[in-house]
Amino acid sequence: MSLFSSAFRHTGRNMLQTWKSQVMTLFTVSLSILIFSFFYLSYFNALHIGQELGDDLRLIVYLDEDPSPPLQEEYRRKIKNFDTVDQIVFVSRQAAFDRFEKQLGDDKDILFDIQQDFLPPSIEVYPIKTLDSLSRIKRFSDYLYTLPGVLKVQYGKDWIERFYSFIQLMRIIVILSGFLLIMTTTFMVAHTIRLTLLSRQKELELLRLVGATDNYIRMPFLFEGALLGLIGASMGIGALYTLYNWIILQFSGSSLFQLFPFSFLPLPIVVILIVTSTLLCAFGSFSSARQTLRH
Amino acid sequence: MEQQKQPPNIIIDLIKVTKIYAPDVQALADITFSVNKGEMIFLTGRSGAGKTTLLKLISKVESPTKGMVEVDGIDIAKIPKRNLYSLRRKIGMAYQDFKLLPERTVAANIAVSMEVVYRRNSFIIKRTRELLEQLGLQAKINTPAAELSRGEQQRVSIARAVANYPKIILADEPTGNLDAETTERVMSLFDDLHQQGTTLLIATHDTSIYNQQHRVIQLAFGQQNTPQATDSDVSLQVTN
Repeated sequence: MSLFSSAFRHTGRNMLQTWKSQVMTLFTVSLSILIFSFFYLSYFNALHIGQELGDDLRLIVYLDEDPSPPLQEEYRRKIKNFDTVDQIVFVSRQAAFDRFEKQLGDDKDILFDIQQDFLPPSIEVYPIKTLDSLSRIKRFSDYLYTLPGVLKVQYGKDWIERFYSFIQLMRIIVILSGFLLIMTTTFMVAHTIRLTLLSRQKELELLRLVGATDNYIRMPFLFEGALLGLIGASMGIGALYTLYNWIILQFSGSSLFQLFPFSFLPLPIVVILIVTSTLLCAFGSFSSARQTLRH
Repeated sequence: MEQQKQPPNIIIDLIKVTKIYAPDVQALADITFSVNKGEMIFLTGRSGAGKTTLLKLISKVESPTKGMVEVDGIDIAKIPKRNLYSLRRKIGMAYQDFKLLPERTVAANIAVSMEVVYRRNSFIIKRTRELLEQLGLQAKINTPAAELSRGEQQRVSIARAVANYPKIILADEPTGNLDAETTERVMSLFDDLHQQGTTLLIATHDTSIYNQQHRVIQLAFGQQNTPQATDSDVSLQVTN
């Protein structure tokens, strides 16, 4: 019989003997995982929505006059120095007029007799579509305004700021629920293992007397913690998936859902969540066993 | 690493060992004796004479207040806590209070000492059955220890102590709760182990179980009774 097979056997026996506290811990771990992964799922989808909205995002920098090619190059360099951008497009007075005329379609006659250079030239700056670029857009706009020859900078200021505040709030909630997750998984499991250890002092004393090594005594508790983390996390993710499917089913006709497709967490994230929970619980149990068995 | 100090034939060596329990209860005073490999020794004396304490010192369940205890050439005071298992695996001890796991079966209680050294399941099953047969407990193999009589619990404790073929067996009042017939079975088991070369140190006040063949060390009030200079540094009452 090897250390591992013996440890597995002891783990099974421990868990059966203290099944009530094990069930309580399992529920706590899975509830923490459910809370954390729910907020993370919301945050994850909000980021997607942010990216979708960001597709239409651009900053329009109105200039006092058409920049010459060297000046265009200078503007380009200044803009790129401040931030990475997706695209920079220079729109001359004539190009702006042509675009306006095209937009008017059949009503373009109203432009008759109007000078073709009445619209100001501009630079259209397309930031890269990440949430960070969204958060920096206000500073970017302020910077562009300081460039020489700039009359005005325009962008969808209101919705960006509101959306960014929402994302910031989500981020804080995700961090807090992550903290809750760490606290519950580590401390609850550590506490459960500690109770198990204390209730089995006589047996542990006997194991020592008959020549068990520290590893032989500790290993089952390490497995027990890891198993609680693994099963608890899987239950939590399973519950989230059920909840997700229910929400999708309930709101499948909603226009919001059609506008912004809502998706479940990708498999690598699910795996990371389960592995992290398993490791946290194993750590909690190991440290508890180490502390208790030292005495 | 600890060094080999004692002559190769000596397996247990106690030199001027004193044990005082807090606040000032002297359990043993200046005990000095050696046990040779393969020897069977009876440790006698009334209750409170220090027999149990002496066995606990040898298995390092307790530490001496003064003096030195060497087992198999190693000063056990120098063994760090994390390496105690190496000493404990050499020693099989049958405790006076049995130290059984009450909710576990007889088989599981005996198996514990073999599981910790990763014996194969087949070995554990075979050895457990063999011992239970020798001790007349084969019908109780699946009975929880809590449901056994004291005499049966005592035999399970003895079976667990000898199961793993330790080099040294320490038995604390192994026949204290047994009738004459069962006592004979237990002593027969000990005799077999002795024949196989195991060292046995049996603490008892049952005069019927020791005979002229074996050395007897008598303790009284924590001291070796009637000191006799039988060796240069060994003072004890010896019957052989």
